[in-house]
Amino acid sequence: MSDRRVEGGPVLAIESLAVAFPRYGGEPVHVLRDIDLVMAPGEVVGVVGESGSGKTMLARSIMRLVPVPGRIDRGRVVFAGRDMAELDAETIRRMRGRDIAMIIANPRGELDPLETVGQQIGNVLRHHLTLDRAAIRVRTLELLRQVSIPDPERRLDAYPHELSGGMAQRVVMAIALACQPRFIISDDATSGLDVTVQAQVLELMRKLVVERGTSLLFITRDIGITAHFCDRVAVLFAGEIVEIAPRHAFFADPRHPYAILLLAAYAQNERLRRYWLGDTTAGAAEGPATTGCPFARRCVRAQDRCRAEHPRLEEMAPGHFARCHFPVER
Amino acid sequence: MAQRTSATRIAEPEPPAAAGGSGRLAFFLALLRARPSYALGYIIVGVVVLLAVLAPWVAPFDPVRASPADFLKPPGWPYLMGTDATGMDIFSRVIHAPRIDLAIALAGTLISAVVGSALGAAAGYYQTQRGVGAFASGFVMRAADVLQAFPVFVFAIAVVAVLGQSLQSIVIAVAFVNTPIYLRLMRSQVLAIRRMRYVEAAYIAGVSDLQILTRHVVTNAMAPILAQLSVNIGWAILLTAALSFIGAGVEAPTPEWGSMIAMGYQSIITGHWWPSIFPGLALALTVFGFALIGSSVEVLADPARRRALAGELEARRRLRLQARAAGAGA
Amino acid sequence: MQLLAYIGRRLLFVAPQLVGILLVSFLLLKLIPGDPAVMMLGPFATDDGLARLRQELGLDRTILEQFLIYLGNVVQGDLGTSWQTTLPVTTDLAQRFPATLELVTLALLLALAIGVPLGIAGARYKRGVLRTTADYYGLFAGALPDFWFGLVLIFVFYTLLQVVPPPLGRLDYAILPPATVTGSLLIDSALAGNWQALRNAAGHLILPVATLGLINAGPILKMTQSTMERMLESDFSRYAEMCGLPDRVVARKALRNALPSIVTIVSVLYGFLIGGAVLVEIVFSWGGAGQYAVGGVLNADLNPVLGFVLYSAILSLVIYLLVDLIYFAIDPRTR
Repeated sequence: MSDRRVEGGPVLAIESLAVAFPRYGGEPVHVLRDIDLVMAPGEVVGVVGESGSGKTMLARSIMRLVPVPGRIDRGRVVFAGRDMAELDAETIRRMRGRDIAMIIANPRGELDPLETVGQQIGNVLRHHLTLDRAAIRVRTLELLRQVSIPDPERRLDAYPHELSGGMAQRVVMAIALACQPRFIISDDATSGLDVTVQAQVLELMRKLVVERGTSLLFITRDIGITAHFCDRVAVLFAGEIVEIAPRHAFFADPRHPYAILLLAAYAQNERLRRYWLGDTTAGAAEGPATTGCPFARRCVRAQDRCRAEHPRLEEMAPGHFARCHFPVER
Repeated sequence: MAQRTSATRIAEPEPPAAAGGSGRLAFFLALLRARPSYALGYIIVGVVVLLAVLAPWVAPFDPVRASPADFLKPPGWPYLMGTDATGMDIFSRVIHAPRIDLAIALAGTLISAVVGSALGAAAGYYQTQRGVGAFASGFVMRAADVLQAFPVFVFAIAVVAVLGQSLQSIVIAVAFVNTPIYLRLMRSQVLAIRRMRYVEAAYIAGVSDLQILTRHVVTNAMAPILAQLSVNIGWAILLTAALSFIGAGVEAPTPEWGSMIAMGYQSIITGHWWPSIFPGLALALTVFGFALIGSSVEVLADPARRRALAGELEARRRLRLQARAAGAGA
Repeated sequence: MQLLAYIGRRLLFVAPQLVGILLVSFLLLKLIPGDPAVMMLGPFATDDGLARLRQELGLDRTILEQFLIYLGNVVQGDLGTSWQTTLPVTTDLAQRFPATLELVTLALLLALAIGVPLGIAGARYKRGVLRTTADYYGLFAGALPDFWFGLVLIFVFYTLLQVVPPPLGRLDYAILPPATVTGSLLIDSALAGNWQALRNAAGHLILPVATLGLINAGPILKMTQSTMERMLESDFSRYAEMCGLPDRVVARKALRNALPSIVTIVSVLYGFLIGGAVLVEIVFSWGGAGQYAVGGVLNADLNPVLGFVLYSAILSLVIYLLVDLIYFAIDPRTR
């Protein structure tokens, strides 16, 4: 039974997803709550969140790699029309790397230090596609060239510790592309890189999306990058999506106070910046509030209703949703 | 202000999720329920300690009184574990032995822990500074190297030979042999902590050297040292028994497991197994108990493992509650 | 070429380290009460006789002088004589050191064969029979006193079941030992085609090797299990899972990364057992080097002890060098 069905429908549909970690002597901690996300083939969605917002857990839930003792509490993940909860472990394993691939941050720490670049790319090729040794070598060189690694023959025998940060990032991208997946998750892949290298990597990703129609879920901490090439932008806070909108609408007309806070760091208007950034204290390290809006503690516009009642995701304009009782109006 | 916050945050090991005194005890008991092997360890050691204290009142016979007429009687009544070649009751001797073995092991291990840690802390602290301190620290490390290059067993026997055979000399031999372990442990902890920035901050802020050392080093290094201690006590008992077996330790007829095994050595070939087997079993069980305790301390002392454990215990608790509810409902 | 330079540099440090160890041993042993002259000549020796012997042995000079004389002899290959055996130490050790080496090497091989697979199984499975077995074995084996365990095995397999030869040394008295090439009875018998000696030596080796092997499998198991667990939870293992690689491939990568730790603990055990196997040697009357050294300490016979310390120190240094070379081979980051 082929699990590479090509359909006109969405490549990924997440419905009411919640992920929880049990805590001794108390309620479980939800690192993701009520996540809804639908992605069409060839679409690029940027997800922006700070550390602890749940963005990595989102990536892992899609790949069904939530670390024990956490588990998916509610909701479902439907990939290419198939509910992943209904698939057996072996099928899911085959999907990873072949249909869904992930590009991670800190590539040098995640590559096996004892294997060469060629061997690591070869591993993925060998176990997902049935290619012989010669074909694997040809394809590996081709992949290295695609990600703009110069002198690929020499790099085949390089070990991860011999690569620079940017080079390692490209190797990881090559591994992600090896089987020509339909869906790629980029988890904070550009953080920690020099600005110039970052630009090169982003350019590479954009080229791939455009040329192959791959869908890309681009997770990042830096809201500025999403302006580059995302079709839609979503903002994640305390495990919830607090705003999601098409790119133009998002940057022209942000509604949620947290989204505006993130954008304010780039704002030219001094008064605007002081208004939004002035009063914030570092309180986000504690767990989410049990009642009301989780952002209320840090919000300059918070009112009593915000602390008492948890806001739901409301449509502000066609395709533009925000989760706030008092969204900002232009 | 910043110094105080950072110091408290890092210096104190993370408490279990349910804070408070009773919370810790409940956590510990839940751990024992979930891991029966640890409970077994605590029970064994508890029994051994009790025997060490209460032996004179519990033992049916005088451990050093020989009844030559009753030699090599097999286990039965009234000699529960039989008698040895000189007619002494093995059971009484087996339960008297912990007094000596435990006392020597505890004394030797504690001395080595205190001396080793102190030397190690000093060695780590004065390592990179110039002058007498640096020279002394280098000397201490080289001395530890040479000490460890010496065949452990031969060294222990040599120490006993030099100091004359007595309980004190065995304690000193045990202490000598174990000191390098704590020395290295403490030194590596000190070196690691020195590199942490907040310690530099404290130093600049004028907190005295001794204060820095005691507060940060002691609290952070406590956990691995405690784990090492439990395992070490078991090993020290083995060393004492081994020395006594050769004849370089506790002298007969004082009841001690090692010397008892030695005394029963000849009898085993002729089929009288009880003079050697029972003391050895007691010895093995005791060391095993200490090893189990050491494992439990390892888990409790490491914040990461403790957190993972907390998650698991919580998951179990919920399953139990669910089962109980289902049972009550049906 | 780089490799040879590295080895050369290491060997350069060996000499001063050995001198240091010998010096400390010498000083320590000199502290042991007991006059060798008295012990050699017995209680009826005359004062003159004692004085003359002391002068011969060099005991009338200062400690430092005595040490330098000893050192000078060592460099020429003379390790002195044991007054107990009345033979040169080199002769005694030539026979005894290989006996210990053969025993310890075979025991560690057995320990690896048991400990590594069980340790891997213990790391892969969170619960179940294999996991429980691995956990308990790791702790219990290390708690067993080796001298006692040897006695238990003797009782069961010799006294009760009678399937092994009596625990009296490496070879039955009646069997002719093969010519000494390596010192290992198994190898030498095979080389000489002496199958009777080979079978007999193997028979005598079974119990002591089993004793040391089964016990030392414990620490190896624990180290393998904890390292494998750490490797399986590390970033590169998670990444391999993310790429959809099959479980056995992920496990193989983790094991390869765990090898340095396993190699380390084997080398530590090796160094320890050269002297630490003495109790098993005594129980089985093995005639090994540890036994020889202990006899020396207990009887204030210095030369055997110093000779033994020297041999085992050299062996330790060789082992550490080999271990570092193995690291070079396994881990590209060290090159």
